[in-house]
Amino acid sequence: MSTLAEAEAPPPLAPVPTEKPPRRRGRWTPYLLLAPGLIWLLVFFAMPMVYQASTSVQTGSLEEGYQVTWHFATYWDALSEYYPQFLRSVLYAGTATFLCLLLGYPLAYLIAFRAGRWRNLILILVIAPFFTSFLIRTLAWKTILADGGPVVGALNSLHVLDVTSWLGLTAGDRVLATPLAVVCGLTYNFLPFMILPLYTSLERIDGRLHEAAGDLYATPFTTFRKVTFPLSMPGVVSGTLLTFIPASGDYVNAELLGSTNTQMIGNVIQSQFLRILDYPTAAALSFILMAAILIMVTVYIRRSGTEDLV
Amino acid sequence: MKTTQNSSGDVRLTGIGKTYGSFTAVHPLDLTVPEGSFFALLGASGCGKTTTLRMIAGLEEPSRGTVSLGDQDVTHLPPYKRPVNTVFQSYALFPHLDIFENVAFGLRRRGLKSVKKQVDEMLDLVQLGEQARKKPHQLSGGQQQRVAVARALINHPKVLLLDEPLGALDLKLRRQMQLELKRIQTEVGITFIHVTHDQEEAMTMADTVAVMNGGRVEQLGSPADLYENPKTTFVANFLGTSNLIEAEVDSRSGEEIVLKAGDGKLVLPEARCAAPATTGGKVLVGIRPEKITLTHADDAGEIPVGRNRITGKIAATSFIGVSTQYVIDSSVCPEFEVYVQNIDRDARLVPGADVVLHWSPAHTFGLDAAQSLLAGTAGSAGVEEGAAL
Repeated sequence: MSTLAEAEAPPPLAPVPTEKPPRRRGRWTPYLLLAPGLIWLLVFFAMPMVYQASTSVQTGSLEEGYQVTWHFATYWDALSEYYPQFLRSVLYAGTATFLCLLLGYPLAYLIAFRAGRWRNLILILVIAPFFTSFLIRTLAWKTILADGGPVVGALNSLHVLDVTSWLGLTAGDRVLATPLAVVCGLTYNFLPFMILPLYTSLERIDGRLHEAAGDLYATPFTTFRKVTFPLSMPGVVSGTLLTFIPASGDYVNAELLGSTNTQMIGNVIQSQFLRILDYPTAAALSFILMAAILIMVTVYIRRSGTEDLV
Repeated sequence: MKTTQNSSGDVRLTGIGKTYGSFTAVHPLDLTVPEGSFFALLGASGCGKTTTLRMIAGLEEPSRGTVSLGDQDVTHLPPYKRPVNTVFQSYALFPHLDIFENVAFGLRRRGLKSVKKQVDEMLDLVQLGEQARKKPHQLSGGQQQRVAVARALINHPKVLLLDEPLGALDLKLRRQMQLELKRIQTEVGITFIHVTHDQEEAMTMADTVAVMNGGRVEQLGSPADLYENPKTTFVANFLGTSNLIEAEVDSRSGEEIVLKAGDGKLVLPEARCAAPATTGGKVLVGIRPEKITLTHADDAGEIPVGRNRITGKIAATSFIGVSTQYVIDSSVCPEFEVYVQNIDRDARLVPGADVVLHWSPAHTFGLDAAQSLLAGTAGSAGVEEGAAL
């Protein structure tokens, strides 16, 4: 439930209204406009959180029922047993985020500055995968990366798989059920969440700043390094957050494209909840994941210093 | 003002032109801007002045022709390799850098390590020493404008290009910055090429003004020369106000042309006639409003002999302090404008009064009658829409 709660977290942003200049007779208007969002947050975010928090400190069994016993040891037990999956989640999500940035930035740059009349078409193509289900798209990767398929065959004949196997990313002639497959799936599935914020912040940059930099002896590359990239930092930060946060809690990619050796924390939480039915451990893991993400994000935002950007 | 000898720092445009598809933004033109001069490109929006400037900066590739700075042909150099800097219309200051770093940008790109002394001096020159650590958005429009000038000037370019740099400022600040820019130009001695649509701004600041219209240079000269001797109706109307009368060449005597306008005769010095004046042909006679003296019809006998005169009736007056502006309804020109200094005001000069307008023939100028009378007036100022690049 907690992974779901995290996946739900972004939508409540939508109904927050922009306030109109207050008129004397409309004193209650802002509150009325806020109400749907607040009620939504209360019912679907705050209440489940409280419920899960209490579950995480309960003890008992399915047959005898659970009681709140303030058993905080569950947190420690969960962490010491599943820390490899935590680390793997951070590593996979981090790698996928980095790859998304690497792939997404040039495309966002192209759409913002060079696409001309093709801009809207490319944007639609970026969003187009959302028209099919997340699951189907991930399953498609099973076919793409299938053993003996053209992709694996090509990678094999180019000896790419030798290198990735040596790095421990793939195993032998297989790509499926390896870390590479999981990271590929994560990268693919979250790429639009990187491209769109990057595009938005690049598109806002005044083209005359590029001209001004060129006029002041900056080569095109220096212009990018000193003007374009710093000004696109808000997009880089929000894009990496929108990619990293859901990717680190994701379990579908590891489930469908990975193996038992590539389990992420999402898979553990899912099986604790739905298969092993150990609700306290599942809830504790969810809270640990949430806290870890919060700390990492806070440090990241502080370090990138984007509050200072206009 | 064209210089023919090749001084080391002249900007020379040779047959330079720009077309966008079928639209011609700038017709092939030749222009030489002497080193160290303050040169203005004046014209309404869409006349090609900004495109011309951008071709000098390297931000626009010319469709034909060449741009040279001194002996160097820079036509195909990218902007970052040209010894030219631009003050952009919207300033284009880097929002993520503070004022100091904005000004230091060009120096750092050229690999200078210790820039502090130069930047501080430059900030002092534009009186912004105190603001060095602020971000551009924390400054007022006038201050941002000075940062833009400082950021360009610190590189000691061969030529400083100014693209309507004062357009966003209010009138009072604009006047102040005009004088400021003129002072800086005199101080540093760099060639300034200034693009503007404000004729007053061009005249106050520039040594030489090129009036552009429809992608062509209509006339080039010193501000006084352009004002006193316009060669086309566009220049006559765009720079200040002109009264234009259609007249027929009656006879020629020595250096004077005698013209017939309505029932009266007007005299025009041949040297001031920009059109071929053959007897029987048409010529547009022009006279600036402030050159005209207004006399009440009752005193017509006191007007000295030898002055050009026209009779009419006052249609409207407006008092603007330093002068009074009259609109006169006359048979040769329906809306004749006359500006009279408020020295001794004649109380009889009220709407409806019959008056005689008279002026010295030496102030008269003649233009080709084949042109539109209204070219360059407020209504037709934006001669070509679009391409206001």
